[in-house]
Amino acid sequence: MQTVKMVISGAVNAGKTEFIKTISEIEVVSTERPATDDTRLIKKETTVAMDFGRIAIGDDLVLHLFGTPGQKRFDFMWEILSEGMLGLVILVDSTRPETFRETNRIIDFFMSYRETPYVVAANKQDRPNAWSPEELRLALRLPSHIKVLPCMATDRESVKNVLLELLDVIMQRSED
Amino acid sequence: MPLVGNIRDFGLSDFLYLVDRGYKTGCLHLSRADEMSSLYFDKGKLITATRKDDNVPVTDLLVRKGKLTAVQAAQAAQAHQSQNGVTLSQVLINLDLIGRDELQRVLQQHIEESVYALFSWNEGEFRFEQGQRPDPTAPIMPTPLAVEHLIMEGVRRIDEWGRIKDRIPNTDMVVKFIEQPIERTKGINLAADEWRVFARINGKDTLAEIARKTGMSEFDVCRIVYGFLTAGLVDVIRKPAPVPMLATGRPLAEAPRVKKSLVTRIINRIRGM
Repeated sequence: MQTVKMVISGAVNAGKTEFIKTISEIEVVSTERPATDDTRLIKKETTVAMDFGRIAIGDDLVLHLFGTPGQKRFDFMWEILSEGMLGLVILVDSTRPETFRETNRIIDFFMSYRETPYVVAANKQDRPNAWSPEELRLALRLPSHIKVLPCMATDRESVKNVLLELLDVIMQRSED
Repeated sequence: MPLVGNIRDFGLSDFLYLVDRGYKTGCLHLSRADEMSSLYFDKGKLITATRKDDNVPVTDLLVRKGKLTAVQAAQAAQAHQSQNGVTLSQVLINLDLIGRDELQRVLQQHIEESVYALFSWNEGEFRFEQGQRPDPTAPIMPTPLAVEHLIMEGVRRIDEWGRIKDRIPNTDMVVKFIEQPIERTKGINLAADEWRVFARINGKDTLAEIARKTGMSEFDVCRIVYGFLTAGLVDVIRKPAPVPMLATGRPLAEAPRVKKSLVTRIINRIRGM
């Protein structure tokens, strides 16, 4: 059985857990715990370790989805999770510009290891005051070749679209 | 929908960059305590700035600065009432009450100082209203102002590491020009020290190396590069890690790329979900 891995990362409350829950075939393995620091202001429970979801591609192939912990003090987990990943989704809470710097830090972290294929998903596009994907591209100073996609992590079609766009980027770098 | 936030989290220079690159038209309202300022942009360029405590017609401003008499101001105001869709600034030029260049110089100086004062705000709510236009009697510059120049001057007034470190975490970062930086430098006047750093940017040297070669402090080099970065002239990247070597001395090969057939299978599966 071959397994491949995609990583879903982003700042606290970007919607990583919801994103994986929406698409995973299994009940997501999540280590939600009551928030103990300033994240308490944002959500009552936050991911302190990771989320894990799974999609069976066939009898011999499985796609694993890992959600990274959001808080800085779990940075060490990111390195472990990034090992051997096929691609990366960076989720951004489009309604909270105060998380954009943290998002840049996360992108910088993952890109410092290797040129991993990635897309940015502008989550919570259904909310008032959501910054549009193009505004997010400018705010995060992302180059034009990086895809910034509208996303609602609670909507299956929206999550599928983000993953398919990421797979399109991966495909361009793959070999025959 | 307006863009809202706090400049504590998304700085004024970041917002000016967004307005410039996004060719935005509208008004950026900034407020803290009882202070309130509004910056109006047209296609990414600044056209005027007003403060709550100094929100006066262009004629009042020019009278105050000795560039217009009260009689001339009244004449312009009266003429303006009969002209729809024309700014009071344009009426002043059309009536030859002040030269276009002189009006530009006076208003630009006034507006620039209003904007520079905002760079000292460490926090404050912002709200960008797309498409919002200034009152036609406001001190609207005849020639809109490119924001790169404002960003550079604003950043010159930053004297704290904290904000700089958001973008430049350490001095081991390498500075490189973005594509076509020359085009973007047209609206920017560099000071001597800034030229010294600018001339050392080669895509290879770290900030620490630039500081050593120019004899400047690391803080000064980082502050100057932060300005270039914020104005969209350069990028800072981590110094590439050395390629791991095998015991034989040959470089370690890159990880094998994933097969197209495998990616196709995943795509088909997700499409079918």
